[in-house]
Amino acid sequence: MALKFIVSSSKILKQLQQISGVLNSSNPLPILDNFLFVIDKGMLTASASDLESTMTTQIELVEGKQTGKIAVPAKILLETLKTFQDHPLTFVVDEKQFNIEIVSDNGKYKLTGFDGDEFPRLPAMSGSKSLELDSELMAAAIGKTLFATGNDELRPVMSGVFCQFSKDGLTFVATDAHKLVRYRRTDVTSASEGSFILPKKPLTLLKNILSTEQGKLKVSFTDNNAFFEFGNFTLTCRLIDGRYPNYEAVIPTDNPNQLTIERTRLLNSVKRVSIFSNKTTHQVRLRINGSELQISAEDLDFANEANERLGCDYIGEDMEIGFNARFLMDMLNNLENDSIRIEMSAPNRAGILSPGENSNPGEDILMLVMPVMLNN
Amino acid sequence: MSTIVHMDLDAFFVSVACLENAALRGKPVIIGGFGDRGVVSACSYEARAYGVHSAMPVKLARRLCPDALFVRGDFDRYSYYSNIVTEIIEESVPLYEKSSIDEFYLDLTGMDRFFGCYKWATELRQRITKETGLPISFGLSPNKTVSKVATGEAKPNGQLKVDDGTEKKFLAPLSISKIPMVGEKTYRLLRSMGVEQIRTLQEMPVQLMERVLGDNGIVIWKKANGIDNAPVEPYTERKSISTEMTFDQDTIDIQRLRNIIVGMTEKLAYQLRAEDKVTSCVTIKIRYSNFDTHTTQSRIPYTACDHTLIARAKELFDKRYDRRLLIRLIGVRFSHLVNGGYQIHLFEDNEEQIRLYQAMDKLRNRFGESAVRRAAGTGRRQ
Repeated sequence: MALKFIVSSSKILKQLQQISGVLNSSNPLPILDNFLFVIDKGMLTASASDLESTMTTQIELVEGKQTGKIAVPAKILLETLKTFQDHPLTFVVDEKQFNIEIVSDNGKYKLTGFDGDEFPRLPAMSGSKSLELDSELMAAAIGKTLFATGNDELRPVMSGVFCQFSKDGLTFVATDAHKLVRYRRTDVTSASEGSFILPKKPLTLLKNILSTEQGKLKVSFTDNNAFFEFGNFTLTCRLIDGRYPNYEAVIPTDNPNQLTIERTRLLNSVKRVSIFSNKTTHQVRLRINGSELQISAEDLDFANEANERLGCDYIGEDMEIGFNARFLMDMLNNLENDSIRIEMSAPNRAGILSPGENSNPGEDILMLVMPVMLNN
Repeated sequence: MSTIVHMDLDAFFVSVACLENAALRGKPVIIGGFGDRGVVSACSYEARAYGVHSAMPVKLARRLCPDALFVRGDFDRYSYYSNIVTEIIEESVPLYEKSSIDEFYLDLTGMDRFFGCYKWATELRQRITKETGLPISFGLSPNKTVSKVATGEAKPNGQLKVDDGTEKKFLAPLSISKIPMVGEKTYRLLRSMGVEQIRTLQEMPVQLMERVLGDNGIVIWKKANGIDNAPVEPYTERKSISTEMTFDQDTIDIQRLRNIIVGMTEKLAYQLRAEDKVTSCVTIKIRYSNFDTHTTQSRIPYTACDHTLIARAKELFDKRYDRRLLIRLIGVRFSHLVNGGYQIHLFEDNEEQIRLYQAMDKLRNRFGESAVRRAAGTGRRQ
């Protein structure tokens, strides 16, 4: 007997679109171009996987009492669903031949799927540690760190975000070896200690589902995998294997030069000046004299040049330091406060950005950017 | 027909030294390192009379000319005066090429109808000397090679015109060493063949030159005959820097070759930093004794750091060299240059290293680019 169920087109589309982010445009295995549908007790559990990450969601059926599974070609299904306004659709599946028939008021659509048993299985999460977090906190942690991750294939650990849970708080770190972000929360603690490196793709997916609603996010992790539960979504992903670099060792602690300035003013100046900088290096020069910050850039290839002066609060010796404007803009864009502080020590040592006055005492944001060597 | 002027400041470094210190005028002056191990980087015509020439060890120069006044080189002043001369030329001619700190090619094609090129160039030469106090010589001819040779003949403080059609006659009695491109090695090779005057080269069949010196032979033969179609190219930013070395004797001494690569890379890396540039492509060139030439290159993140570049250059050399043939030439090139400083790496660079580079560069800026070197790169070169 054929497997039969009825589902609302808009409901299933919304959920499938969320998990479709996992799908790659080209896959080593044809089965990965499909959603896995598992029907059980009036619920449809849909999954998408790229072998590294798997996302599932649960959709309530309008009707369907049977049990069964089928892999449905994702692209064709999504395209079809998009064309319907809210409309009940009847799926009739032949589990032996893997034929799928979708019936609407307008007509019938037939396509061939795959055996649901071929779909990759989720890793066992035995012996996992877990904790519960506010979705907002996790969204903030991802938002603040993700941009600082690297792309270097030779250093896979830096392509992810390092997460560390302990009873003192939570720490998230990302770096591409030129910039580094450390996002710390002391207002949330974890009974179980542990750390792992999450790859970029599942983090992006997680960020998307966290933005849909507020609630509690459950995080579980073993040595190799992490598992997230949020609302009616789950996300399982493989962790990046390897040792994360000792980031604390490279954060300079003695930074006598402190600059405090309005964030948006600095951001706009850097943005404008960097238009005139070299298109490859985006190098800008910061010269601090007393309470004046001078930002300049030049592109010798086109004889372009820009120079701006800003007032600022500054404690320390006069200095001149070069930065990649892209890095500065990334950081200034990812801070929200009105005023920010830049701590520095020497032209060949890191600059550290942090919020000038922090509204949340439980939150500790540190953004570090390495300078470029200036020739004087 | 073109009209090209080649202008060359006479004993430029010495002239600048005399300008800054009038006491040096008319005396044998040698610019170079103070130690016995340094080499002469320039000397006055008075010193040349004693047989002193540039690139000669200071020790020998001192023996040849014990009365010579030794002056330390000051590159900031040289480029300052060079820029003044460049400015004068720039406002006078529509098309010029600055081929080195003290040499210029000016394209005066088409100007004779209005000004008379020779008269015009004479006035420009007088103006430069008047405004800067620096003696300058020029040669005027239909092409760059002949003009450059003519300048050499006109020096010091002179000028020479070679009319269209008389280039061959002008070059014929001169020594082959006057041809630009004929370095010490080629000179010795040609001398061993019994060629002394350019006349002999002119009379030789071009095929013979090609057989002996390859493609370069053809170019040298053309130059000897006063043929040179190279255009005057206005100054452009350099998109690559390179250095190469031909051995006196083909070699298979791998350790020495690797050391030379270290030395070359280090030197180029300093040049990069001095010009405020970073590179993202390293190329190694190997020419075997049978003239087979191979290059291999590799892209890297933008850098001007010795250790990264040296490691990559050595790696490329090891990859390229197949260890069966003697090597005639090796070279290193950095390309894909952009203006900018080196982006410091959080984990791979440490402060000591960065400070070491800055200190080494300071020494080089002051005492010349071979003031400090890696021990590996100091090995015997010839």
